[in-house]
Amino acid sequence: MSDAATAPNVLVVDDELQIRRFLRSGFELDGYSVSEAENGREAIRAATLRPTDLIILDLALPDLDGSQVLERIRSWSNVPIIILSVKSSEMEKVRLFELGADDYVTKPFGMAELLARSKVVLRRKARATTGDSVIRIDHLKIDLAARNVFVDDERLTLTPKEYRLLQILAQYPGNVVTHQELLKEIWGLPHINDTHYLRIVVRKLRQKIESDPNHPRILLTELGVGYRLAPPSDPSDAQAN
Amino acid sequence: MSRMRLLPQGTIQWLRAAAQPGGTTGILGALFLVTAVTLVLEVVRSFLDLPPVVVTYLVPVLIAAIRWGFLAAMTATIASAGSAAYFFYKPVHTFYVEDPARRLGLILFAIVAVVTAYLAARMRRESEIVRRREKEIGDLYAFSRRLAGGHSTSDIFDAIEKHLATVVGRRVALFEPRGPSGRSEPVGENGVPQKVRETVAAVIAGHADGAAGTAVADEHGNRWLVRTVSPKTPDLGVVAIDLGHQTPESEQEIRARIEAVLYDAASTIEKIGLAHAITEVRMRAESERFRDALIGSVSHELRTPLASILGAATVLCNAPAVAGEARLAALANVVRDESERLNNEIQNLLDATRITGEALQPKLEWAEVADIVNAAVERRRIRFGSHAVEVDLADEMPLIQVDAVLIEKALGQFLTNAAKYSPPGSKIRIRGWRDGETLALAVSDDGAGLTAEDSARLGERFFRGRRHVQSTPGSGLGFWIANAFVAANGGTIEATSAGENKGTTVTMRLPIPANVEQLESISSE
Repeated sequence: MSDAATAPNVLVVDDELQIRRFLRSGFELDGYSVSEAENGREAIRAATLRPTDLIILDLALPDLDGSQVLERIRSWSNVPIIILSVKSSEMEKVRLFELGADDYVTKPFGMAELLARSKVVLRRKARATTGDSVIRIDHLKIDLAARNVFVDDERLTLTPKEYRLLQILAQYPGNVVTHQELLKEIWGLPHINDTHYLRIVVRKLRQKIESDPNHPRILLTELGVGYRLAPPSDPSDAQAN
Repeated sequence: MSRMRLLPQGTIQWLRAAAQPGGTTGILGALFLVTAVTLVLEVVRSFLDLPPVVVTYLVPVLIAAIRWGFLAAMTATIASAGSAAYFFYKPVHTFYVEDPARRLGLILFAIVAVVTAYLAARMRRESEIVRRREKEIGDLYAFSRRLAGGHSTSDIFDAIEKHLATVVGRRVALFEPRGPSGRSEPVGENGVPQKVRETVAAVIAGHADGAAGTAVADEHGNRWLVRTVSPKTPDLGVVAIDLGHQTPESEQEIRARIEAVLYDAASTIEKIGLAHAITEVRMRAESERFRDALIGSVSHELRTPLASILGAATVLCNAPAVAGEARLAALANVVRDESERLNNEIQNLLDATRITGEALQPKLEWAEVADIVNAAVERRRIRFGSHAVEVDLADEMPLIQVDAVLIEKALGQFLTNAAKYSPPGSKIRIRGWRDGETLALAVSDDGAGLTAEDSARLGERFFRGRRHVQSTPGSGLGFWIANAFVAANGGTIEATSAGENKGTTVTMRLPIPANVEQLESISSE
């Protein structure tokens, strides 16, 4: 990623100079090329003017609310957006995920965590553009086109609900899908609050795909918010297999 | 209390007092009873050849004495003697009695009746006094309990209002002397007419006589008495008492009675140290609110620069120039770790203000215990350093209905404490199992353990074990917060230890919803 031609462009949006400073250093050290915006309007303009691969968006901006900026950018672009916020309420997270945020990091945070999450959202975008319908996570292989799921190359028998759950999560591997969204997609709107449906199916699915269902490494829980699949294994690893 | 003084005074007063409870009802009742006895005697006489038994008349006398008091008993005595003479003793149908023995009998009857009536009436009065005193004491006890349990001045005024309503026996509205807005508000929800409110305002402002009381009529013609509770100090509030429709004389009488009762009540209230209690409560509430607001805003302000410090430190730690230089890397790590710790302390303060600010409303959702445990372990993984964490959850754990985020924080607090107070390299064990109707989660360590004092005071806010104050940093908030979070989810926390340096086990128990099996079976497919 150190190659200037392929270095991903990250747009850092935060009104605080000190935060922008360390984000710039952190991203540049990791091979990104960084641009900055200190308020919402500037962020929207920058996102339209320059090719951007990733946006780091602070929620508390002086002119616009961060969630408004998120909504505006989402109206025309699929660019991955990671939200930064001092608020850590689960309700707030759910709302932002539903508005189209790709991830959410609570301030204060460590640079390593943000870089790891950035990598995940970028990889998802890369996979979406290659149109690869096979996802590999650890020993699990999901073939979305053939609707087949394998563990260590052995085909699994899943119930329709289990497969549907895996399929929805696999569309955005590494990204959180909220409880409400999953319930709505799988059981329909009337069951949007029946979290226990989801818990039971997740429990059954984990017994089939995880080597230790009590310590899942593929189907991960985001407490109070939703579920996510672990980031897919690197495509290069997949070819080596 | 003024009533009791009447007893040993002059006979006339005593008679009046004795006559009071029954009044005309008592006299009429006594006459009715005597008539009934006379009729019975007449009927009995037509069947059996009996001499008239004048002693039978003691029955109505006694009943009248016990039920209605002395005057009714006297009435019964006279009526009985008259009836005996008139209906039964020769010559019949005159009050004259021929037989000297019978005359003597009647006189003796009268003496016995009067003495019996006197004794019965006295007994009745005494038992009534005892009963009233008992009720007074009961009221007072309830009142002082309400005072002691008051968390705010309005609780205290609420208690005063209820107490006054009990002792005065009328509709009472109490107004706090200085409400928060500078205006006085009625304490309870009694509908107090506008005119009365105006008078109350005048009394508070000092325009009307508060000590002696001011009477005012509302639009329905009801009279209200407005006065300060205590003639000495306005601090106890201003009271408006509904007198109802009254003639001037009866109003005068009621006011005198209220005066006496209020005087007693006010001195009792003063004795209980109420004025002090009010000031105390006011200050406590005020300072607690202030402290929480301060902590809240300071914590928030601290976090903003901390985000930059922590972020920059993590960049430095991984920057090649620093990472390659062992001494610099160590320093950068110190900055990172300490800002991490500072961040946790700030989070604790914020959590604590959330608890005391009563903003803690758990969002109950069905949750998998393993998810909560994993999140807690994961979040603290970096800080466990050299501790080995061992998780052992029973198979087939039921779902629980909790605010998973709060439980995760509480569990994380246990883990943090375990890591803090046990030697590096030692093991921290998490166990989960079903225990009857509860789900138990226990965190055990091989660390410092608890002394008897530690165990007793563990749940206190800001409590820190004496052995650790010097050596281990901390605010003493963690366990208290964890306790509040678990309690908000209907659970309990228990900390046990075999003793000093013998390790600690902290166990939280959460209720298992009764219908969980049913839910788990229907939602399978």
